[in-house]
Amino acid sequence: MKVYIPDDSSACAAGADRVASAFEKIKEVEIVRTSSRGAFFLEPLVEVDTPQGRAGYSNVPPSQVPVLLKKTPEPISQMSFFTKQTRFTFANAGVTEPMSIEQHGFKALNKARGMDPQKILDEMKKANLRGRGGAAFPAGIKWQTTKDTASDLKYVVANADEGDPGTYSDRMILEGDPYRLIEGMAICAHAVGAKKGFVYVRSEYPAGITKLRNAIAHATEAGILEEDFFELKVFVGAGAYICGEETALLESLEGKRGMVRPKPPFPAIQGLWQKPTVINNVVTFATVPDVILRGGDWHASLGTEKSKGTIPLQLAGQVKNAGLVEVPFGVTLEEVIWGYGGGMPKGAKFKAVQVGGPLGSIFPKSLLKTKICFDEFIKVGGILGHGGIVVYDDDTNMVNLSRHFMEFTAEESCGKCTPCRIGSTRAKEILEVILAGQGTKEDLALLDELGETMKLGSLCALGGLAPMPVQTAIQYFGNEFQRK
Amino acid sequence: MPDLAPILQECRSSQPNILATLQKIQEVFGYVPRDSVPEIAHALGVTDSDVAGVLSFYHDLRTEPPGRHVIRFCLGDSCLATHCEKSLAALEKKLGCKLGGTSKDKRFTIEKVYCLGNCALSPSLMVDHDVHGRFTSGNVMSLLKDYK
Repeated sequence: MKVYIPDDSSACAAGADRVASAFEKIKEVEIVRTSSRGAFFLEPLVEVDTPQGRAGYSNVPPSQVPVLLKKTPEPISQMSFFTKQTRFTFANAGVTEPMSIEQHGFKALNKARGMDPQKILDEMKKANLRGRGGAAFPAGIKWQTTKDTASDLKYVVANADEGDPGTYSDRMILEGDPYRLIEGMAICAHAVGAKKGFVYVRSEYPAGITKLRNAIAHATEAGILEEDFFELKVFVGAGAYICGEETALLESLEGKRGMVRPKPPFPAIQGLWQKPTVINNVVTFATVPDVILRGGDWHASLGTEKSKGTIPLQLAGQVKNAGLVEVPFGVTLEEVIWGYGGGMPKGAKFKAVQVGGPLGSIFPKSLLKTKICFDEFIKVGGILGHGGIVVYDDDTNMVNLSRHFMEFTAEESCGKCTPCRIGSTRAKEILEVILAGQGTKEDLALLDELGETMKLGSLCALGGLAPMPVQTAIQYFGNEFQRK
Repeated sequence: MPDLAPILQECRSSQPNILATLQKIQEVFGYVPRDSVPEIAHALGVTDSDVAGVLSFYHDLRTEPPGRHVIRFCLGDSCLATHCEKSLAALEKKLGCKLGGTSKDKRFTIEKVYCLGNCALSPSLMVDHDVHGRFTSGNVMSLLKDYK
């Protein structure tokens, strides 16, 4: 009898390895390690085959293993967390074995190789797949620019420096479905005429690095990348948030300090070692195979007017059912947090939610009806970023949280732009004064002015957006910033 | 001082990568001795300040030997939302060192990290390459018992 146990690092943090060891003692069981479905609140989630498809036992402690299979499992197809989701990019999550080339198939790559490169770009543009890393730039236009730029060498780079605290969708692809990323990159290489590629992975993801390296080795051995003479390498980051910014990432990939470059020139024209470079986020590349297989029109039929397709949202913080939720754009924050996330954990009371990582705005209850799509978020003064959703309870001190955001920016600023480099430290100091109950009206005015200077005077999104969570915290929770 | 010559020999190239070289040195020796900057620069054909600049830029790169195990304690948004600071205080008290420091017995170094991608199981920390989550100030120390 087959027993499916995830080997994702979060599932293992919840005890999946210990559960697998306990199963090793049962003779009639064949253990299959799969990726995780991303329902981390249910991990370790152990599954078996039934006439109704896979069925699972959730939150299994190792001590339960000897008697577990006597109990009746719950069919996955009936679990409410999954039934309302639309899983394409994460269709394999929890289903396949991450290292199995056979289960992956590379169908989209085979199809793409039979297509004229321009036809691939046309499909990508029709799909209107906007970058999932945070900047939401249409991938098809980026690809076209690189294709149209004449050069002896072109590069394809995957940004796997998933630095936004509160996000883990890239990690799940790296660990759970690395061939999907490799396939998306190879399709891109074929379309734009690139011969070399890099995946820049943050060092905080050792399991993802190992799995991706193995997957590249297997794919290379199997001759899958050979047809386009596409050479793919992994480069490991060194703990700098700014290297998630595309130009800083390229500097880092070249071995230098991860300093932001002014744009233009854009990387699509002058990127890695000054050569035309397509650089996209992991989830963007991982969505490409579906666009190729099902067509650009299919992708454009999902979502809202300007935000097409699905988005993997990552629920974290004070939420009962924390995990990955892939849905078409257009659902409201409230539907995600309560409908999928199950609302607040027992005893916790909702205070605020932050979408888009440490540069995302703090939203109070009154903004929960906001639809999750790029334009609606801009309208209410927020960003979707990489799709991280962190819920805060009423034990959260907004001044202390704001201080944390400025400390984060001060530590992670590359230092190129003065407003970001020095402004973040000054803002942190002002917030420390306010935290001590000694703040004045002038301090708040100065903080606001500093924020505006950072927004206007910074080259990249770190300096340009870092004031947002602080300014929105003051806007919606202003009483906490008053002198005590 | 560690003998860097074999690594530097390996990292020499027409397009040397300073960061990758420093990472390789740290992988083998656990840190990059500050005094070795001129030797590295010479081997790669770059300036001392190029090497020192990269060495001081990246949070991962250390210039002092760490303890036998490195704890990377997450202070990301989701971990703060789940009030990880209480667990950090408990950990610092038990180990007798603050973030960035090493315990007296050299068993653990605690470093700050912003996100381990384990946010659905916050709060989170990583010991060497193992991710742990869902701990409290009461049980955080029990995660360390297998790391001798």
